[in-house]
Amino acid sequence: MRILLVLAGSACLVAAVLLHQSVLEGRLLRADPNVLPSNPALMGFAVDRGRALFEVHCAACHGTLGQADPAHGIPSLSDADWLYGTGLVGDIEQVVRYGIRSSHPKAWNLAIMPAYATPRPNPRDGAIQPLSPGNIRDLVEFLFTKQGRKADPAAAARGAGLFAGAGGCYDCHASDAKGDSAIGAPNLTDGITLYGDGSRESLTMSISYGRHGMCPAWVGRITPAGIREVALFVYSLSHPRELAR
Amino acid sequence: MSSRRSFIFMGSGALLGLLMAGYSLFTARGTSTLVVPPEDVALVNQQPISRSDYLQQVQTLYGVDLEHATAAQRRRVLDDMIREELFVQRGKELDVASTDPDVRSAMVNSVEQEIAADAITAQPSEAQLHGYYAAHRARYASEGVMNVRDYVFAPGDSKAAVEAAAALRSGVPAPAVLAKWRASDSGKTADDEFYFAAKIHLGDALYEAAKDLADGGVSAPIERADGIHVLHMLENKKPVPFDYAAARDKVLTDFRNEAIGHLRTGDEGFLRKRANVLIADDVR
Repeated sequence: MRILLVLAGSACLVAAVLLHQSVLEGRLLRADPNVLPSNPALMGFAVDRGRALFEVHCAACHGTLGQADPAHGIPSLSDADWLYGTGLVGDIEQVVRYGIRSSHPKAWNLAIMPAYATPRPNPRDGAIQPLSPGNIRDLVEFLFTKQGRKADPAAAARGAGLFAGAGGCYDCHASDAKGDSAIGAPNLTDGITLYGDGSRESLTMSISYGRHGMCPAWVGRITPAGIREVALFVYSLSHPRELAR
Repeated sequence: MSSRRSFIFMGSGALLGLLMAGYSLFTARGTSTLVVPPEDVALVNQQPISRSDYLQQVQTLYGVDLEHATAAQRRRVLDDMIREELFVQRGKELDVASTDPDVRSAMVNSVEQEIAADAITAQPSEAQLHGYYAAHRARYASEGVMNVRDYVFAPGDSKAAVEAAAALRSGVPAPAVLAKWRASDSGKTADDEFYFAAKIHLGDALYEAAKDLADGGVSAPIERADGIHVLHMLENKKPVPFDYAAARDKVLTDFRNEAIGHLRTGDEGFLRKRANVLIADDVR
């Protein structure tokens, strides 16, 4: 009889824990994701679980702490520079859910960096024409100028013309070269480089052979609550002070 | 005592089984329910409307998050989404995919993307990528760059072309050569050009003759319909193989594309295998 009581007690305990988690998951999912960071109880619950999921599904590329890896085009998830969206939980969650160029119809897939040293720089857009090696050198000098670095002024002036004209760079990166997080076009003036070390060689590589990094869509592979938990964990990486308050 | 204990255990087991079955029955996918799951904002004929999509729609339409959306805005978005779901369901009933080419195309596209998603989610190891790179090393090289001049001599004047080529080889400046042998620069190329661009500008035959010339090299005269051509290579930077680090981005893309291709082929094979396809005699 005593065994039965122990079993029953344990079952009740497990059921209570599961019920509690289910209730918290429900609250987590029903809340506006962007206001969740101001709810310490739910954040505490979600961030730990999100960390575990992040380590299983995301750490292969992003590392366990979301650190940048410019050699592989992996962005930092712990700084304030957001390539897609503005860093709100809802924005992060959309990326986790549908991915970037993931082939999911709802993924962020509006833009790719064309490969200007190839006959068809962007296979999806025939209007984008290749550039010559000289054009690419000029563009690199222009970007150096925009970043306040020493550059050949004549080449930079030609590059400015290409940026705003034949190269079509302004179309994604904006006419001030500060990018557009609505389509994932990086800011080219801030010195933060997604690929490479920002040298002439690495910029030449990016312009010549293009970039189109990819993040998988986790919808259907991680539960809706899990996706939100991962998003909150990622948010916590970039907002440690806000969450500590 | 022993039989009583057995009875209690048996009863407890049965009760536990019933509880689990009941839970599964009411929570399994597709089970009719009166409760909207927390991840959804509505169920339309048991078909969920995702809360995430709802939030996104509010944001897209009104530029505000849910917290700042008015009740009317929220209601409007929800009504629109319910309407869309109802029409999609009606579309299924009407089997619009059998008649509407856009729907058919969208469905084919969706299924292909769904197949691709499996390959995209699986992150290959560095060892796999290294192996792929090693097996396809020739694919990973920079685009060659050439700075070549194309001089044209009058048709039939091969003597002049041969002498001019010899003069160029011996270092006589190009303007002097052009003046002396009455040739002209075709203007097809100027400054540095990528190989692919030079090929387009020069045409296949001249490009083939040019690409193997060394810096300062001069081709033999080449007869073409418009005259005799002599190519003068000022600088030829041949394609340089990328090391793994430089090629990795492209290697990963190619690896994934190949995996997607395999999956699609496999899935198509499976669909064909399980399908009952009858083909009319006259088109077999």
